[in-house]
Amino acid sequence: MDLAIDRELDDFRAMVREAIAEMLPPRIAELQKAHGGINSGHAETLEWTRILNERGWSVPHWPAEYGGTGWSPMQLYVFNDEASKAWAPDTCWGATHMCGPVIYTFGSDAQKETFLTAFREGRYFLAQGFSEPGNGSDLARLRTAARREGDRYIVNGQKIWTGGAFASEWGFFLVRTNPDVKPQAGISFLMIKLDSPGVTIRRIPQINGDADLCEVFLDNVEVPAENLIGEEGMGWTYAKFLLDHERTTSSFIFYNKRELARAKALAAAELIDGKPAAEHPEFRSRITRLEAEVTALEWSVLRELANEEFKYDRTAAASTLKVVGSRLQQAVTELQVDLLGPRALRFHAFEPEDRVDAGPLWPTHAEGRTANALIARASTIYGGTLQVQKGIISKLAFGL
Amino acid sequence: MDFNLSDLQRMLLDSAERFIGDHYSLEHRRALRDTADGIDHSAWQTFAELGWLAILVPEELGGLGGAMTDVAVLAGALGNRCVREPFTGTAVLAATILAGAQSAQDAVVESLVAGQARIALAHDEPGERYADSAPRHSALVAGGPGFVLSGQKMMVLDGPTATHFIVTAQGPEGLTLVLVEDGADGVARSDYALYDDSRASDLTLSGVTVGAGQILATGEAAQALLSLALDRARVTLAAQSVGSMEAELEICSAYLKERQQFGHPIGKFQALQHIMADMFVATHQARSMLYFALSRLEQPASVRERAVALARVHIAEAAQLVSRQSIQLHGGYGVTDEYEVSHHYRRQLVLEKQFGDIGFSLARASA
Repeated sequence: MDLAIDRELDDFRAMVREAIAEMLPPRIAELQKAHGGINSGHAETLEWTRILNERGWSVPHWPAEYGGTGWSPMQLYVFNDEASKAWAPDTCWGATHMCGPVIYTFGSDAQKETFLTAFREGRYFLAQGFSEPGNGSDLARLRTAARREGDRYIVNGQKIWTGGAFASEWGFFLVRTNPDVKPQAGISFLMIKLDSPGVTIRRIPQINGDADLCEVFLDNVEVPAENLIGEEGMGWTYAKFLLDHERTTSSFIFYNKRELARAKALAAAELIDGKPAAEHPEFRSRITRLEAEVTALEWSVLRELANEEFKYDRTAAASTLKVVGSRLQQAVTELQVDLLGPRALRFHAFEPEDRVDAGPLWPTHAEGRTANALIARASTIYGGTLQVQKGIISKLAFGL
Repeated sequence: MDFNLSDLQRMLLDSAERFIGDHYSLEHRRALRDTADGIDHSAWQTFAELGWLAILVPEELGGLGGAMTDVAVLAGALGNRCVREPFTGTAVLAATILAGAQSAQDAVVESLVAGQARIALAHDEPGERYADSAPRHSALVAGGPGFVLSGQKMMVLDGPTATHFIVTAQGPEGLTLVLVEDGADGVARSDYALYDDSRASDLTLSGVTVGAGQILATGEAAQALLSLALDRARVTLAAQSVGSMEAELEICSAYLKERQQFGHPIGKFQALQHIMADMFVATHQARSMLYFALSRLEQPASVRERAVALARVHIAEAAQLVSRQSIQLHGGYGVTDEYEVSHHYRRQLVLEKQFGDIGFSLARASA
């Protein structure tokens, strides 16, 4: 057992920190800081991806032959930690973390050339078309149908919760290509260009004033058969692969660390009866407990990255990261709201031109916190609800 | 980083699980409760033979010169079966203080390693709670050939079977750690049982004669040594707590498959499955927090103290969740002495309140 972080990582950390500080435009960092959410600024996300790509860092976790950096899991961890601390946005998650790995694992050479290059270079945003109005947790029964006609598919159906679809050029979709087999076996993985005739996108106004999530209607959309990834009927397997591919990202550990640090800064800045909130015992205790939970989560992630021998099924550990990470996103952002007290109630528009002018009464640190906490209610819903995760744990760890 | 056991740790764990698993059945532990002093003397000899008491003792003093990660591996196995022998007080707390003492304590250390000496910390006094660095009312003053020690101590854990006490007192040079033999003139013990069937004592010290060779540390050195020893002890308790939680996961998941109600094993009910999932998450996170605390033990005192306090809050609250739900999952049987889970619950309660409870740790971590 060696619980010390390797010294060499300190040098690596200093190197990436300096590089990020040099590369990241302050404008992008400020926007990310104001929003603090996941989907802030599609254009800025792509701009940052292109900047990273110039250094060969836009898809560091991919295999080297597709543009990865060859960094170790711990180096990747340090890089992401530093990027998050510097208020860099993520790259387009659907492209670089979900669809990309599916394509480099199961896609054809032509698909690799077309899509991987575009994802790596940040050419466009990519939407994820999985959930449907009638099929959320019970995803395997999805009904959007793709009927093969010669060298193309005709797609009909409806997707929902498609984040950023209105700003995306392409989407990766799960569609039913065979209605006559058991639900999981009839699903295929299809790339669909979102400006195809028959595609209608409607943005969904959200609890926090934003409208990033979308409905996507597919009405006799013609999709070239070459956009099928891998084999027909293997879509469910690929989807499981991509959800399983990165076991630690659902912890949102970098987000949770950064937002806890922000809460501490808020606690020092916000006065209650003339005293910083940080000096009030109830806030101190809340902050300490959350710090303990975030620390434990970080060490749970490190255990996973270091490949600890584990007596239970590893997926149960991955679900644990998701359970704790999603709960923390809510708890930490709720703490921020409570630290602001009644000032948390003021509505802040997402559009830059409608921003509140900063001033002594309304410092910039108040902006965006409540919007962030409101949408964080979704963290225990997307990517497998809290209840689905608990079901996975009780089944895989205990055979219940 | 490497979270896997070294070969030596693997051997340690295997032998610990074998011996403890064979020896410390529930029946055996319940039988021990009815003995006069509650401890298993022959098992304690085995602890010594297996080298468990020597882990933290430096090699030059005849020990193994091991690390707290080794102790944590063993403590997890002890916690698994609610073993309540005076391991933490003797092999962690006292071993740390004796190894760092200003006066040579070779003979006592040798007898500790051999399983003959058991040493308890006599620190707490009436009217206070977890007084980490507050001045002691117990006083060591010059007198006779050396010094004279007087005072009142309470909740001396494992006091009835201790051969020696490390007494904290206010001396001419501030805080002083004094080694006092049980049975010395002026030492009076009042013994009692705790809810986990371990034992403790109140100690009245009336003009106990103390020689220079019994002074282990004074002033700032005493404070630093006591603080280090207490933090190591706290992590050892936390490791036992994690071991107990891990055992409860096994006990409860087995029970849910066997117990039938409404014509089904109760593990078929989603409400209970989700309780088990909550327990799994809490236990997994608690073990992560244990690793965090272990990783900070060699760091400067302020870093170490805060990390240990954070870990104690987190692990103790996880242990409460797991031990409470373990009873709930067992229904009425959970509150009977017949079932393991009630013993784990009581053991967890004692582990939480030794050397600083949740409230104490929360305040310490928030300072």
